[in-house]
Amino acid sequence: MKKLLSCLLLLIFMAGILSGCWSRKELSELAIVLGAGIDRTPDGQVMLTLQLAKPSTITGGWGGGARGIEPSAWVVSGTGKTVLDAQKRLATRISRSIYWAHSAILVFGEEAARYGIRRYIDFFLRSPYSRETMWIMVTNGEAKDILEAYSEMENTSAQDIANLARSRTGYSVNLKDFTIMLANQGTNPIASRIDLIDYSINSGGLTRAKSVMQKGAILTGTAVFHDETLAGFLDESETQGLLWLRGETLKGIISVSSLTEPGKEMSINIIRGATEVQPQYDGESVWFDVKIVIEGDLWEQQSGEEIMERQVRKAIEEEMAGEVEDKVRLALEKVQGEYKVDILNFGESFHRKYPKVWPKLKDSWDEVFAGSGVNITVEAHLRRSGLETKRTSEKE
Amino acid sequence: MRFIKFIRRGMSGRRKSDSGQQDNGSKNQKKENLTANQEPRNQDLSSDLQTNLRQIRAILSECSDVIYREFDFAQDERIKLALVYLDGMVDKTRVSDQIMHSLMLDAPLVEQGEEFTRTRVFAIIKKRLLPIQQIEETNNLDQVIDAVLAGDAVLLADGCACAVINDAKGWESRSIEESQTELVVRGPREAFVETLRVNTSLIRRKIKNPNLKIEAMKLGQITKTDIAIVYIKGIVSEQVVTEVKERLNRINIDSILETGYIEELVEDNPLSPFCTVLHTERPDKVAAQLLEGRVAILVDGTPYVLTVPLLFVEAIQSPEDYYERPMFSSAMRLLRWFSMIISLLAPSLYIAIITFHHEMLPTALLLSLAAQRETVPFPAFVETFMMEFVFEILREAGIRLPRQVGQAVSIVGALVIGQAAVQAGLVAAGTVILVALTGIASFTFCYYASTSIRLLRFPIMVLAGTLGLYGVICGVLAILVHLATLRSFGVPYLSPLAPLNTGGLKDVAVRMPWWTMLRRPRLVGMVNPQRVARGLKPAPPPARGKR
Repeated sequence: MKKLLSCLLLLIFMAGILSGCWSRKELSELAIVLGAGIDRTPDGQVMLTLQLAKPSTITGGWGGGARGIEPSAWVVSGTGKTVLDAQKRLATRISRSIYWAHSAILVFGEEAARYGIRRYIDFFLRSPYSRETMWIMVTNGEAKDILEAYSEMENTSAQDIANLARSRTGYSVNLKDFTIMLANQGTNPIASRIDLIDYSINSGGLTRAKSVMQKGAILTGTAVFHDETLAGFLDESETQGLLWLRGETLKGIISVSSLTEPGKEMSINIIRGATEVQPQYDGESVWFDVKIVIEGDLWEQQSGEEIMERQVRKAIEEEMAGEVEDKVRLALEKVQGEYKVDILNFGESFHRKYPKVWPKLKDSWDEVFAGSGVNITVEAHLRRSGLETKRTSEKE
Repeated sequence: MRFIKFIRRGMSGRRKSDSGQQDNGSKNQKKENLTANQEPRNQDLSSDLQTNLRQIRAILSECSDVIYREFDFAQDERIKLALVYLDGMVDKTRVSDQIMHSLMLDAPLVEQGEEFTRTRVFAIIKKRLLPIQQIEETNNLDQVIDAVLAGDAVLLADGCACAVINDAKGWESRSIEESQTELVVRGPREAFVETLRVNTSLIRRKIKNPNLKIEAMKLGQITKTDIAIVYIKGIVSEQVVTEVKERLNRINIDSILETGYIEELVEDNPLSPFCTVLHTERPDKVAAQLLEGRVAILVDGTPYVLTVPLLFVEAIQSPEDYYERPMFSSAMRLLRWFSMIISLLAPSLYIAIITFHHEMLPTALLLSLAAQRETVPFPAFVETFMMEFVFEILREAGIRLPRQVGQAVSIVGALVIGQAAVQAGLVAAGTVILVALTGIASFTFCYYASTSIRLLRFPIMVLAGTLGLYGVICGVLAILVHLATLRSFGVPYLSPLAPLNTGGLKDVAVRMPWWTMLRRPRLVGMVNPQRVARGLKPAPPPARGKR
């Protein structure tokens, strides 16, 4: 027993010494990456920008915080031949070890995105330290500027942007889904587009000196890729049309103008919907029948129609359908006409329906897609009218 | 305080067993290698009173509390009597009213024609003149000594080679009070006291059944402490009773001052950090244990009673669970299980995650913790270990310190440790919260289990600080394996979980209603398992109209 006990004690003792705690890292030894950006320098190198948390400025525990006086993140850039090379150079400037696990966004500058994105995301997919849940963003300027932006609500702009992406007001995609889109044949990847907005006027002089120009980040639509290179951008309303076409987020607000009173509007909140894409092929030409069904609740009414009447409702529903169709057409024109890339998953559904024809068309699919016809039918339903049946304060 | 004369039997039975050579330290010069029918120290009383008294005086020399009262018998002054007893151990009114009064003053109460002779005096005294509940006659000197020391009054007569032992025990003792350590909101409040006979009566009062057996024995060569083995015949497994008796008989120790002595000498695995013998000061708990087929060991001089066998799951069972409504009791049990896990693992999980597995934390929490720890000059392991250590110091001080300074310590503890350390940046606020939580969580379940958990928390913290979650899991596995190997008086410690007994699960994580717990827990043998009749689920009477 004594022998066993002493052996056990020795083992426990040795665990403390011999293990060397090789992966042990105190929190104060970590440089927590909150967001990362990748730009391409004019001489073709990779510029990696990291937004590192400065825990001492983030309030926790006693006494207010330094927020508003001192930024709570440190944005630092380094260049190298590869992403890892750039990181290695950064490591010589950062006193703590770079910790990727909490990086929430990965922003690509326009140059880098146009040059081809595969080479850059490889590191993030290969590395066990970064997560595939990072939101992928493209900016039409430099990624570095996005990371340097300021956030009113959150501690840092990276958290701010990640929350924007998470709320799915526009289109957002994480690294994993982006990679799947990139690997799929018959579809092209898209990512959210992020831009800077100047709101130094709004922020006033309460928390910051007026003279400092403050820039915030804003989601402005979608970046369209042709395989791995950036083809162009879609704005916000085109993005909504795109989302409806892809059948992804059939939510949002649409506004239709009043039937009887010009200049007055009604807003309908879309609560659910479905998109059905039927590829058709007759031997030479390809076309698609797209059917979109949406259901919405009337949430705001400036005009005074009797929405309880069937005729009125019918008319509103038709207007809703028209509105949706317009937006979808707008997106379609841009995608089909201007960028000529299939980002609508049409290729995939064609492949599913005509698996034997697909091999012939897949190599030139983007041209086929650009030349194909799309029939859009929209069916809209107005279900509820909120808590009112009449416009509020209407005289009986 | 009515002592049955069970002690002698128990004593002779005990002496049978130790045919050893271990009596060097004992006060009485006991002869060894004795046969069963003989009394051990074979010294009989003489027929001469003075000789007897001299012998007793010699043995009880320098015992200032012994009183020798010599007097003449009222009927016949030629007959000399002597009463020997210990001052403070006897009920004085009893000795004076029931023994001395009747012998010195009321004695002429004799049948016609009866003659007092020296030889017959005891027969008459025993029959008519001692209005006292229990008497016993002996002719052995050592028995006389033992009786005097146990608090009896011994009557000796001149010309008679025997003595009458009168039960006159009566000493100062604490009255029955509310339990100090095991509190309930609903349920009986009384707790055991230091007197064995009071304690057995507390159990007897709850179980009025002839099958409740209270066997007696004496342990401790010097202290001669009275022990009682209590069980319910017909419910308890005979194997367990035999095992308990065997283990108790094996004990040869100079003193038994508390049940802890016995616990350590009878437990199955003395080197385990886990307790395999339950101690409690609640009579209702002991009664419940007996009714489930367990054996209780009572020791004179302590309010704590041992019951065996003990199962691990009893650590989170409170007597109140059975008195409260089952739904609430079940919720509280789940809470206690959870608290047990917190109190064992919370600090180590904190250390492991904060030093090895930062990716497991949500970003906001990580940043908040990082901000708190920015000023802390110690590694998380050192910091947490230190704070747990400080908490243990505070807790230990809280038990030992005199009541008058309690206030001061709690203020210093709360302010200095809690606030100043954080403000000074020596300790992170999160660590203080965690340590406080761990400490409080360990009070939700039985105290005997919380001592083991408190002890094991520290090695697991070391494992967490060196190997991370891997170390924590290793530690937990080691504890589980150890628990699975433990047995308490032949019953697997983790039962009914580890040898799975689905019926027993009704009383583990939850407490099912009484009308579903039809059987007693499955212990060794499982004699007479039925506890509750079937179909007792209450229901409203059928509606009047339907009849």
